[in-house]
Amino acid sequence: MKRKHSFLKSFSHELPLLLLALPGLVYLIINNYIPMLGIIIAFKKLDYAKGILKSDWVGLKNFEFLFSTPDAWIMTRNTLLYNLAFIIIGTIFAIVLAIMMNEIADRFFAKYFQGMYLLPNLISWVVVSYIVFAFLNADTGLIPKVILPALRAKDINFYTSPGYWPFILLIVFLWKNTGYTSVIYLSSIAGIDRTIYEAARIDGAGKLDQIRYITLPLLKPTIIILFLFSIGRMMYSDFGLFYQVTLNSGALFSTTQTIDTYVYRALMQFNNVNMASAAGVYQSIVGFILVLGANLLIKKINPENALF
Amino acid sequence: MNKKPAWLSFVGLLVIVSLLFSACSPGQKPPASSSPTEAPAEIHFAFLSFNKIPETDALASVEEAINAITVPKINATVKLHPFSVTDYAQQVTLLLQSGEGLDVYHTLGDLPQRVANNEFIDISTMIDQYAPETKALVGDDFLKTATLHGKLYGIPAYKGMAMAPQLVYRADIMEEIGVDPATIKSVYDLTEVFAKVKAKYPDMIPLVPVQTGNIGLITLLMSTQYKVDFLGDSYFTPVAVLIGDDMHVVNFYETQAFRDIVNLAREWYEKGYVLKDAATTTSNVLEFMSAGKAFAYIAAYAGNQAYTQISAQTGQPIRMVRLAQPYLSSTSVNALTWGVSTISKHPEAALKFINLLFTDKDVINLVIYGIEGRDYVKIDEYHVKYPEGKDASTVPYTAQLSCGIVGNQFIQYQMEGTDMDDLKLMEYELKHSAMSPAMGFTFDGSSVVNEYSAVVNVINEYVPGLTTGSMDPAEIPNFLEKLKSAGIEKIVAAKQQQLDEWLSTQK
Repeated sequence: MKRKHSFLKSFSHELPLLLLALPGLVYLIINNYIPMLGIIIAFKKLDYAKGILKSDWVGLKNFEFLFSTPDAWIMTRNTLLYNLAFIIIGTIFAIVLAIMMNEIADRFFAKYFQGMYLLPNLISWVVVSYIVFAFLNADTGLIPKVILPALRAKDINFYTSPGYWPFILLIVFLWKNTGYTSVIYLSSIAGIDRTIYEAARIDGAGKLDQIRYITLPLLKPTIIILFLFSIGRMMYSDFGLFYQVTLNSGALFSTTQTIDTYVYRALMQFNNVNMASAAGVYQSIVGFILVLGANLLIKKINPENALF
Repeated sequence: MNKKPAWLSFVGLLVIVSLLFSACSPGQKPPASSSPTEAPAEIHFAFLSFNKIPETDALASVEEAINAITVPKINATVKLHPFSVTDYAQQVTLLLQSGEGLDVYHTLGDLPQRVANNEFIDISTMIDQYAPETKALVGDDFLKTATLHGKLYGIPAYKGMAMAPQLVYRADIMEEIGVDPATIKSVYDLTEVFAKVKAKYPDMIPLVPVQTGNIGLITLLMSTQYKVDFLGDSYFTPVAVLIGDDMHVVNFYETQAFRDIVNLAREWYEKGYVLKDAATTTSNVLEFMSAGKAFAYIAAYAGNQAYTQISAQTGQPIRMVRLAQPYLSSTSVNALTWGVSTISKHPEAALKFINLLFTDKDVINLVIYGIEGRDYVKIDEYHVKYPEGKDASTVPYTAQLSCGIVGNQFIQYQMEGTDMDDLKLMEYELKHSAMSPAMGFTFDGSSVVNEYSAVVNVINEYVPGLTTGSMDPAEIPNFLEKLKSAGIEKIVAAKQQQLDEWLSTQK
């Protein structure tokens, strides 16, 4: 009797909190959980006359097209390597930028640079693709028409030369995303207790020592969380970057094709809902495994930094 | 004890989830009543519109005018669903799964896939009862192209399908360089013309792509120049084809026709006759022409007078000259096929409505032009124009650019300035053009869908570069090698097998 009483009491105590959480919960359920039932489409052959639920099951048949292409290896390699490069180089650039911005004493300039670095992130990929096009196109582009002749270098048609694109894509990625990521690091740095730096200075630590022994260790949890988020999206690629910026140029496939762009191109051709779902399910499952794996690894090395 | 509320709320959650899910699950059709004096059937009718999509009240007024005809004639009312080209496939899919339903719509070059999805009902026998006039009008040759596995799934739109590759050029420049267009008989005569343009106007691009990655040479395949029947493959990515009267399916990229267009494109590219970025540019061909930077493009048009519209749109003196004659195959006919959906609650009324689209002048003109006086005014018996001070983007309703999509093009009004002789030529060529020996055969690719996705991926990698000249033809052997490992031979074999079966039923 007493226990029930305490339950009711604690329930009424928590009710306001539960009510507070309700809108968020409802949103999560409707937006993130109910659509998960759609996973069944990946295992069916959709028959419009029967509807989704009554369509026939076909097992893993819808997944075959992902692996039937001889380019399956190339696009998986591209997806993983680009993401790896983006995670590692992107993180280094973002942290360096954040530390540098943190050192700007003048308030006006600090805000100014933050804004300027954030700006590219607000520009849509379609616009970015035309900016890149203005630099690279063979007929009027700045680099082939002005810079290369000035250097007396050989004429290059960038949109048919796959070798240059890993660098071009990395540069475009960094230009667009570094500012945004660095803001997250900047806010973590701002949260570090100033007195620690003061103490270090009194003990004679220089700027670099402060960064190495105070800033970086205290940034570690943020870095790890962002790293885990990125790992979960290893099998996905930024569609805008790989499809729009390359102008969907076939000649560049060997270095720019990723799983997403392959799936998009294949399904534009066939308008097949089943295969599209299969591709999504495949990417989610691999991403899920990668997150669990990375978290496990971090737990082994450094338990208090693991996400769960 | 603490766990109980969590558990309880989880059960509650499941109940909510299952309620929501069952509410949107299909398949709960109310039993169809069959009393003779029933209320008019509601027909949901989707089509592609290249014009501005009208507002709801403009749609409602047109629907009302259509209903005034359809209720007495076929006891049905109509709901219009015009969709833009980027939305069409997705919106149709949504309507097919929603409770609202969809009765009548058309394919966009994807009839076999839609049949494989069981989206269209078999109208083989219904057509005699509910759409006999349309059957007679379209004719058996064309209806066969919408027949798969012996069942008729739809009716191809009746329009100027016999399209010929044309050089669309600036008449003033042609005159300046002193070339008589009548002397241009084939695409191979163009090299010399472009050379003269380049010599006289070094800043001008002699040939611009008609679309990204297509400088128009592909259009020559589906003409009397090369007589290629794509056998249902996409226009941009032919895979396994027939050439001329030879009934052996071949890998298109091993044919002389492919080598010819690649070599020609390379020659033009190296001499600077083609836009260098032709494989990737997203600029619209009309933009190039309007800007006065380009001399010509190659594209397929029905009839011979499309240039009047192009001149009006670009503000340049445009003319065109044929590079070959039209060559009809199933692919050119069944790209736009009108069918009745399997979820339709009133299939008979839906088919009767399709019949009206092909035979009733008033219904089709309402769908295309909207309401007389408000959306258009008549000039004479055949021609219309927009009301004073209005144009296609300011009238409440128009689907004028869909004239070649919905039903029968030849009973529609024509825009001011259209020569009726050209329309007669289109209809004549529709009946009398050269035809593929496999006319009527439609390939069902569902058994080789994985090979198709792999092969098309390889094609996308090489073909835009090769056919615009920016890729060295020395790459062709690599290309063929990759096609092979992607499984192109399986597609060729599957097609040959289905073609042989089809031939044996055509005796």
